[in-house]
Amino acid sequence: MKHPRRASRDPLEGATPAVRQSRPGGVSWAVLVLVAGLLLALTQGRIDIPLSDLGQLVWSLLQGAPAPNDQVQTIVLQVRGPRALAALTVGAALAVVGAAFQGLFRNPLVSPDILGASAGAALGAVLGIFFSFGVFGIQMAAFVGGLLAVALAYGVGSTVRHGDPVLVLLLAGIVIGSLLGAGIGLVKVLADPYNQLPAMTFWLLGSLAGAHANDLPSLIGPVALGTVVLLLLRWRMDVMSLPEDEARSLGARTTGLRLLIVAAATLVTAASVAAAGIVGWVGLVVPHLARFLVGPSFVRLLPTSAVLGGGLLLLIDTLARTLAPVEIPLGILTALIGSPFFIVLLRRASRGWT
Amino acid sequence: MTAALLHADGLSVGYPGRVVGAGLSLELRGGEVLALLGPNGCGKTTLLKTVLGLLPALAGSVRLQGRALAAWPLAERARVVAYVPQGQASTFGFTALEMVLMGRTAHLGLIARPGAKDRAIALQALERLGIAHLAARSVHEVSGGERQLVLIARALAQQPQAVLLDEPTASLDFGNQGLVMRAIRTLAREGLAMLFTTHDPNQALRCAGRALLMREGQVLGEGAVGQVIEAEGLRALYRAGVRQVDDAGGGLPVFLPEFETAQATKR
Amino acid sequence: MALENPEHAHPRRRDLLIAAGLGACLPAGAQGTRSVVDGANRRVNVPARVQRIFPAGPPAAIWLYTLAPDALIGWPRANRGPELEFLLPGIGNRPEVGRLTGRGNTTNLEQLLTSKPDLIVDAGFTRQTFVELADRMQAQTGIPYALLDGRLEATAQGYTLLGELTGRTERAARLARYTADTLRTVRERVARATAPPRVYYARGPEGLETGLGGSINVEMFEAMGIRHVAAGLQGGLATVSIEQVLAWDPKVIVTIDQSFAQTVHNNPLWRGVSAVKNGRVHLSPKLPFGWIDFPPSVNRLPGLWWLGSKVFPALFPEDLGAITREFYQLFYQVELTPAQVQRVLAGRE
Repeated sequence: MKHPRRASRDPLEGATPAVRQSRPGGVSWAVLVLVAGLLLALTQGRIDIPLSDLGQLVWSLLQGAPAPNDQVQTIVLQVRGPRALAALTVGAALAVVGAAFQGLFRNPLVSPDILGASAGAALGAVLGIFFSFGVFGIQMAAFVGGLLAVALAYGVGSTVRHGDPVLVLLLAGIVIGSLLGAGIGLVKVLADPYNQLPAMTFWLLGSLAGAHANDLPSLIGPVALGTVVLLLLRWRMDVMSLPEDEARSLGARTTGLRLLIVAAATLVTAASVAAAGIVGWVGLVVPHLARFLVGPSFVRLLPTSAVLGGGLLLLIDTLARTLAPVEIPLGILTALIGSPFFIVLLRRASRGWT
Repeated sequence: MTAALLHADGLSVGYPGRVVGAGLSLELRGGEVLALLGPNGCGKTTLLKTVLGLLPALAGSVRLQGRALAAWPLAERARVVAYVPQGQASTFGFTALEMVLMGRTAHLGLIARPGAKDRAIALQALERLGIAHLAARSVHEVSGGERQLVLIARALAQQPQAVLLDEPTASLDFGNQGLVMRAIRTLAREGLAMLFTTHDPNQALRCAGRALLMREGQVLGEGAVGQVIEAEGLRALYRAGVRQVDDAGGGLPVFLPEFETAQATKR
Repeated sequence: MALENPEHAHPRRRDLLIAAGLGACLPAGAQGTRSVVDGANRRVNVPARVQRIFPAGPPAAIWLYTLAPDALIGWPRANRGPELEFLLPGIGNRPEVGRLTGRGNTTNLEQLLTSKPDLIVDAGFTRQTFVELADRMQAQTGIPYALLDGRLEATAQGYTLLGELTGRTERAARLARYTADTLRTVRERVARATAPPRVYYARGPEGLETGLGGSINVEMFEAMGIRHVAAGLQGGLATVSIEQVLAWDPKVIVTIDQSFAQTVHNNPLWRGVSAVKNGRVHLSPKLPFGWIDFPPSVNRLPGLWWLGSKVFPALFPEDLGAITREFYQLFYQVELTPAQVQRVLAGRE
């Protein structure tokens, strides 16, 4: 891109605008992880499905012909397919929200739970288990719980007029999350220890074992809506990551934007937690990985986080159901894998969060 | 004389429950440079932020192009007035170009992203300050002075009529101080209204056309720099010894803090 | 007491008087103290007359209710409406007293003391940890604390022991006999089965929670000799994926969750499982206490018949209704109407 007035070289000549300051082929790595995750998720499991069978199934589906192998079709379309789609969605969702929040709160150490959405959803779910709702009821209770928790945190934060609004919101979220955590503890104490308590424990540790084609619309709907909003606003997030005074002097309506971003992010988080339970670390670590690949600007960061998050959670979920005959709760695996990852990232980020 | 671009009248500035300055008035016109000079803590930064609309005025009024500042929507305001803060490191290591592009916020719709035209304007701003070669570098990897220039470039990308800078040379080395000050003078000559805060009287004397002297929230003097910036006035401003060193070649004098040890002045 | 040294065959009169005087000063209860060896081989001194007994947890409460309901001070968790219908009036609604041990200790010790129990009974594990807990509690409160071995196969002995502790030996013998007979009969029949089907035990609303081998949750299955699919893995509770269930392909599914039982037939994920295809998904009865799994106490006895008849219908031809009525009359001491019997067997609330 040449500057019209000057004859000298454009300093950016030769560098593709989108890949400036990023590792060569940054986005490609993310896509690679996603594709690998998807393939592994569909082929690995208790019943082995070789890649060729999978290919045959896809081919016959595309052609509209009946599937060559009924069992393969059931497993892929009814069992692994919906679960893979759920894992992909939840992983992408948490990663996108994590990235958005890291910008909004100007803090690379925040995660999607920071405003209490996870705690609220968890409280809704354990209450649902306590009152013996069915599966759908528990999910709904979790979703509503997540939304209400953030609304509460946001409301409490707005009553404080002085101070940095971002810091106030952050603290309100932490306090509300803590309060709701106490509520969860209370419900667990009151619960029937033989039946309800184990169910609550498993829910809280996170799992996609029960992923079902019918659940997908209630997951993908809110997640898609919220993610689209966040993606549309992603350039503004660059501006929102500046100190409040600077952002406002540049013309960004920070209060309104903050509300919009928090609302969209909460929709996404509540739906994800309602579907999968509490899955930590994805929202914290994936944005850092994505930042390593494509740089900090949210224009590239958000889509890359989504792709990378989806792929990584797919891989982790596949591990969760194949490492042992029983399911390893998702939250445990993400913590076990996420923490060392994060330590490595911390050590490499010597020069700020580039 | 053109009407004042920015006009503050009888301002009381500060925070709820704490008045930092009162009875403050200033005027800023296109093509001129105004310096807010005063010791640390005198309220000049608070005044600056109030005039920008970042802090609500406790009393008095601020008018931009004749209209009350409060009546200006944020984006419209940003297309007229730009703010250059002291350059602390930002959380994330954006490139200089990405940083400057953020100056286009006020010109873009809510979900719009910068286009080719915006990138051209941003690059132009970088070039105007001689730092186009830093476009692809992360702001975490450049020096403090270069970072400050990037922030000024960002302000220029807003295509404003006035640029307000807060202690623009605070963290700069000797060479870069001159760079920034020259840039301020050049931009004023090109028609922009420039206002900067400083605690260095020599900067005010050399770069600004007018100065407002502030101490403990009060105006001690206001007017052309040649008149208000002189030894007695500075002594009253800083309540400290001030030594004036005149230039034999007839140029502007230099003001130094009085050192305890006797030093022979060179003649 | 026999005198061992013939030279002291005639103790001096003064010593006799002193002994009698001392004896008169002893507190009344200590005079009638009996010493019983409990299920963890601990020697426990119980008063001669035991009229108030504190249950340390739900299993003990049920044991006590079946043997000596009048002595039961209260229930660890208050019984709710539907459950009260199947318990003795005046006993079933006794107050909530919390749990002393086990998962979640919620009894207020002062509350315990003010209820003035003559004896505390606990049924469950008899391992060192629980022995120490029992000893500590006994030392702290001064109330005799008896541990019963809560395993299914130790039920008959448990009743005998409990009978000794409470002085209800006759009734205890009857209940012990019923228990031993049931367990023996059921085991014999299962052992005769030629092609035992694989059984999956489904917990939770999604049916994906199950008990692993050796867990208390599947104790019944294993005591009977029924092959449950997760027996190969040792542990407690675990979640499995639907894929794993499909790989196991159980012929019979036993569940305790009502919503799972209701929705499983319409769930496309489960339709491929043999048990679902053949309509062999069974919801266990649970009024007033569950028939399988929990609480792990004598309430599981009718479950043995029920489980047997669901898994091996040919080998268990008895009328479940009659068995239910008999058990409830003998153990829970309530007469069931035919409608109530149906309600119990239907497994719903």
